[in-house]
Amino acid sequence: MKKINLKGLDLVAYTETLSNGLDIIFVPFEKKSNYFISYATRFGSEITSFTPSGEKRIYKVPDGIAHFLEHKMFEQESGEDPFAYFSKSGTGANASTSYDNTQYICYGTKNFEDNLRYLLQYVNAPYYTDENVEKEKGIIAEELKMYADLPDVQLETRLRQNIYHVHPRRVDIGGSVDEIYKITKEDLYLCYNNFYSPNNMFILVVGKFPMDEAMSIIHQELDSKENLEKAEVFLIKERKSVRKKQDSFVGNIQVPKIGVGLKIAISDLGQYADLELDLYLTMFTTMLFGSSSLFREQARSEKLLNNFYSDWDNTEEYKTFLILSSTNHPDSLIEAIKEEFSKHELDEAMFNRMKKVWIANEVKMADYIDSTVNNVYDDMIRYHRVIPNKVEVIRKMNIKTLEKIVSKIDFDNLSVVIMNAQEEVL
Amino acid sequence: MEYIKKDLGSYNLHLIKTNQFKTITVRIAFRSPIVKEEITLRNVLCDMFLQSSSMYPSKRELTIEAQELYAADIQTNNSRLGNYNNLDIYLSVLHDKYTEEGNFKKALKFLNEIVFHPDIYAKKFSSEKLEIVKSTMRSNLSSLKEDGSNYSLLRLFEVMDRSRVSSYRMVGYLEDLDKITPEALYQYYQKVMRSDMVDVFVIGDIDFKEITNMIREVVPIKTVKRQKIPYLLADVRPRSRRIFAKEKVDTTQSKLAIGCRCYGLSSYERNYALTLYNIILGGSGDSKLFKEVREKNSLCYVINSVPNKLDHLVLIRAGIDKENYSRALELIEKELQDMRKGIFSDEDIKIAKEYFCTALDEVLDSPNRILDNYYMMELLGTDDLEEKRRKIMEVSKADIVKVAKKVKMDTVFLLEGDSHEEN
Repeated sequence: MKKINLKGLDLVAYTETLSNGLDIIFVPFEKKSNYFISYATRFGSEITSFTPSGEKRIYKVPDGIAHFLEHKMFEQESGEDPFAYFSKSGTGANASTSYDNTQYICYGTKNFEDNLRYLLQYVNAPYYTDENVEKEKGIIAEELKMYADLPDVQLETRLRQNIYHVHPRRVDIGGSVDEIYKITKEDLYLCYNNFYSPNNMFILVVGKFPMDEAMSIIHQELDSKENLEKAEVFLIKERKSVRKKQDSFVGNIQVPKIGVGLKIAISDLGQYADLELDLYLTMFTTMLFGSSSLFREQARSEKLLNNFYSDWDNTEEYKTFLILSSTNHPDSLIEAIKEEFSKHELDEAMFNRMKKVWIANEVKMADYIDSTVNNVYDDMIRYHRVIPNKVEVIRKMNIKTLEKIVSKIDFDNLSVVIMNAQEEVL
Repeated sequence: MEYIKKDLGSYNLHLIKTNQFKTITVRIAFRSPIVKEEITLRNVLCDMFLQSSSMYPSKRELTIEAQELYAADIQTNNSRLGNYNNLDIYLSVLHDKYTEEGNFKKALKFLNEIVFHPDIYAKKFSSEKLEIVKSTMRSNLSSLKEDGSNYSLLRLFEVMDRSRVSSYRMVGYLEDLDKITPEALYQYYQKVMRSDMVDVFVIGDIDFKEITNMIREVVPIKTVKRQKIPYLLADVRPRSRRIFAKEKVDTTQSKLAIGCRCYGLSSYERNYALTLYNIILGGSGDSKLFKEVREKNSLCYVINSVPNKLDHLVLIRAGIDKENYSRALELIEKELQDMRKGIFSDEDIKIAKEYFCTALDEVLDSPNRILDNYYMMELLGTDDLEEKRRKIMEVSKADIVKVAKKVKMDTVFLLEGDSHEEN
């Protein structure tokens, strides 16, 4: 095992890669009582067309299949329900699907060794039948409807559709009711066999647990698991421009909402290490729109916003900054956001303060098992490695580099959506 | 972990020494018997604390100061605890050994500034800041239906019994919001400081003596108060006839919210047998409701139950298609009946106990959950973690069945999705 000191955080990570390519990451916490295990694959909703291993033609599977597959993983040939198994020792279990990954987790304080073994075994044993696939459709349809009813989800979906021309991030992670009703057990096996292979997966264990025993269980369960030849997933060529610059629609809401997306081609920005680029871009938008920004102060005092949410969406070729906000004055708020982008003044005192805040937050998060899991997990998905020196990387950031990166951004490549409130019906 | 409680006359100081966390967490809890007309006012006060203070004239300056204290986290929260309204102000900051000497002391001073030196001039809160807070709150209160699952609960409680405090909307009321003036808010602030009961908590790697002196200085509350009414709501008999109510909304999914009343529970039953009852019924991903309504019959994605112990309620909710309303209700009814008949296994009880014990273990991993636990011990006289662990193991099947017979379905509310749009 390779030992990696996570500098400045009082944490140590241990990593190992099995001969079949499966990555293992352990982050032990001596002072805690609980543990958290994640078994993950780099297969998420955005892979829907690919050339399977050993085949020549491209297959298109229905949208939402990664999420459907995640649900069906809980079906075992023995009839045993994995939730029930974990419950026996008071252990929690869950799974989640994202655009570019799916993970199966369990967390608790007892029965670590059996639970680890069981988690690996059940995710390694797909069991799909026509009948159990049919049965799941009703449940997932209700899940999709639940999300589709939320105005914030409707707005974000619309915004994504206007930003991307063809990229699968146009489509919700769960797909649509129509699409999931097309899913067959053959589709599920095809995806499972091609993407749930050791060289496309990793295991992350964080918390209090016996490392040697954990390692030997993983060896026993997974050493013999073989890879198929890698399926070919094609990079979907997405145009630089946003698909639609301006859009509006009426939603089932009382107070209007707006969505703004800034789409940036990574190739325009110059050569940077992946982590650094993400940190600088996040620093940039934090300085412009974060809780201590002048923009927020101004917008607050003019009562332009009720809440404000922003995040970066990362694809292979693009970094897209998304803003979602509820506002009584959609046009004025959009103008204010556009103006802030075009001015983009960068204050060095603020830059340094934010670095201090980020470092303090890294230290604080290292107190919690769940935050540490999320941190290491995200790094594995995005950067394919454990980052030993994030605190140092943050400390070394300088405003000159930030200015240089920002100077390459095309601030006109914006997509704006207004979600209007329904007219009062008397 | 070492705990001591000090009576400082006008408030209790609870100190918990542990080296398990890199942060020190401080919480000041104000509480008084809940008054419906004051809920909105109290929410506004909560937000005003974080808008500005006498030294920091804007939210931005306040945020910058918190950031300078190595990302000190300050939050406020207003909630209901049975018959009481509880306002928490909470500070979490890295221990000096991870920042610099004197940082914690400065953070305490900052907390003092926010709570005891708000933005008041000539016996009025800043009207400019008040308008900002009101504007945000107004739009939130106008958009309650956006979150159907929460909205259905608000409506359930109102349909159930408007006269009980359990029906009060903790998000507040538009009509009360409009009435709030800078003067009225000042009056209310004075009232809270003068007559609310107060408890102060500190958890982290602290020195008891040193911290006591520091807290005396930064929490200068002088008046002594007594508890006036019990925390627990009065027990009422379930009605003989159930209430059914519906409201239509423009969504595709419908939300089913069911309120069950528990009558005549002893405190042992409420804290232990009812907890296990709920875990088995609908409190886990392996519960009877989950298995029957979701897994076997594919009627929903979400279904669960939670006990509101102080209100003597068990709530069941599910997101369903309106066509499946009667079927879902029938199945839920059957599960409640099965619980009364004792149709659940010893294994189910064992699993529920494991669940409960894991939750107890996890309390120790979070400063806030540790504080919550001590707060409940203080207010409600609940047992400590070890005692809880011991007592839960003693609960028998007969105990759970006895509780099951005291849980009666009382009110059924359906927020009916009436959209014809096909997605």
